[in-house]
Amino acid sequence: MSINEKFTAIKKGLLEFLVLKIVAANKVYVADILNQLSATEFATQEGTLYPLLSKMRREELVDYEWKESEAGPPRKYYQLTAKGREQLRETSEYWQRISATVKSLGQDPGQPTEESTPR
Amino acid sequence: MNKVIIINLNGIAYQLEENGYEALRSYLDAAARRLEGNPDKDEIIADIEQSIADKFRTVLGANKTVVVTKEVEDVIEAMGPVQNASDETPASGPGASQGTGTAARAGDSPAPPKRLYRIRDGKQFGGVCNGLAAYFNVDVTLVRIAFAFMALTWGAGIILYLIMMLVVPWANTSAEKAAATGLPSTAEEFIRRAKEGYYEGMKTFKDRRAFREWKWQFKQEMRQRKREFQREFHQNAEQWRQNWHQHWAQFPQPHPGWWFVYPILAVISAVLTLLCLASIVSLVLTGAVFGIFFPAGIHLWLGILILLVIFSILKLPLKAIRYSCYYHGGCGPGYYYRPGLHLWNTFVGLAFLVFVLWLLNSHSEHAHEAIEHVRAATHHVVDALRDWWNQPSPAP
Repeated sequence: MSINEKFTAIKKGLLEFLVLKIVAANKVYVADILNQLSATEFATQEGTLYPLLSKMRREELVDYEWKESEAGPPRKYYQLTAKGREQLRETSEYWQRISATVKSLGQDPGQPTEESTPR
Repeated sequence: MNKVIIINLNGIAYQLEENGYEALRSYLDAAARRLEGNPDKDEIIADIEQSIADKFRTVLGANKTVVVTKEVEDVIEAMGPVQNASDETPASGPGASQGTGTAARAGDSPAPPKRLYRIRDGKQFGGVCNGLAAYFNVDVTLVRIAFAFMALTWGAGIILYLIMMLVVPWANTSAEKAAATGLPSTAEEFIRRAKEGYYEGMKTFKDRRAFREWKWQFKQEMRQRKREFQREFHQNAEQWRQNWHQHWAQFPQPHPGWWFVYPILAVISAVLTLLCLASIVSLVLTGAVFGIFFPAGIHLWLGILILLVIFSILKLPLKAIRYSCYYHGGCGPGYYYRPGLHLWNTFVGLAFLVFVLWLLNSHSEHAHEAIEHVRAATHHVVDALRDWWNQPSPAP
């Protein structure tokens, strides 16, 4: 089992957090989100993203509006709601705590104070 | 040259090759199944169709109006399997194109509903056994043995096979092939399909009253049927129990001599059967039975039929003896209720058959060759049958 496979579930769980971050920065449509994720370890596909976005909209984290595009039919542009912003803030904090925990665990138990306290 | 199917994606028509259409349809069907129960199902499907349409547009141009199968498959692969966001179990992760490499394949998650097809790859005759093996997920050899066994008992296997050959379609497109092998069928799948059928039927009732009436009648009918079945079942069980008791009361034990007489009759019967088989093989291989040539112009099949009739007639006196034994001998009419004797009878017959075959095989060069030829003969028979089956109907 490769590292990639081991982290499948974690990456899936983190996807909502990342989408919140991307949508928070800019009004985007689905292809933008896919593009931003494609270069990362979290590369995903429409088949996953559309159901996720619709769930987030149902939970009132994001909202969309139709906008004309220069080529082809109108597109859905997504943006965060107030609740979405709140969720993003909470998730970010939680993420900070998790990564701090990951960093600090497993240090040499002999001198925990010297290693884990920031210099 | 390929057939083209026109589809409508969010109001715009696209021309797809037939196999591509099948692939797209099974992808969208699977997506709809995955999203079952999702309140935004229709919207998500519309989004996905829109996205597919966008991708199709990029491959089409002024001089290219048809989306070929390969392009449809590429688009489906790029879309990735549709996964319900609230689905907690990551069946195949969203690792996607950059990830594991296998997760992105279209066939992975959108499982087509399993259907029975005949399969050409690796078929022996009509592909029926092959298709059944794929459908029930068992070794094809087992299915073939089962059919051969059924063919031995009153030819049921042959009739069943021919019927299935007529009824069951070939798996031609890739989607059909996927559906033929599909996921192992589960009870859930059957229940789901049954439900779908149920709801499909309901849609046709425009009138609520008519629907309620129909439902009430349906329920009544089911209840009635259940009651009748139970009653019949109890009656039958009671009848059998009584017969059984009576029989044992009347005929406590067969005379011990019958344990020898029956097997001897069985052996004679087996000899006749063997002779019958040998003459059929000889007819197929050399066109003659024990040196006697059939008159020219008689078809092979007619010859076999004639042989079968002759041997049935030869067996008649034997049968008469056996039946008279059953009724006037030590066993009485309850002969068939003696499973032990019956089994013993069959066993002796089979053992004798195997013994004779072994004897012939090891002591007679000629018989050895003949047995070796049986394989070829079987192929010959199958070929003849196939030719007969495939021959075009005579022109008017």
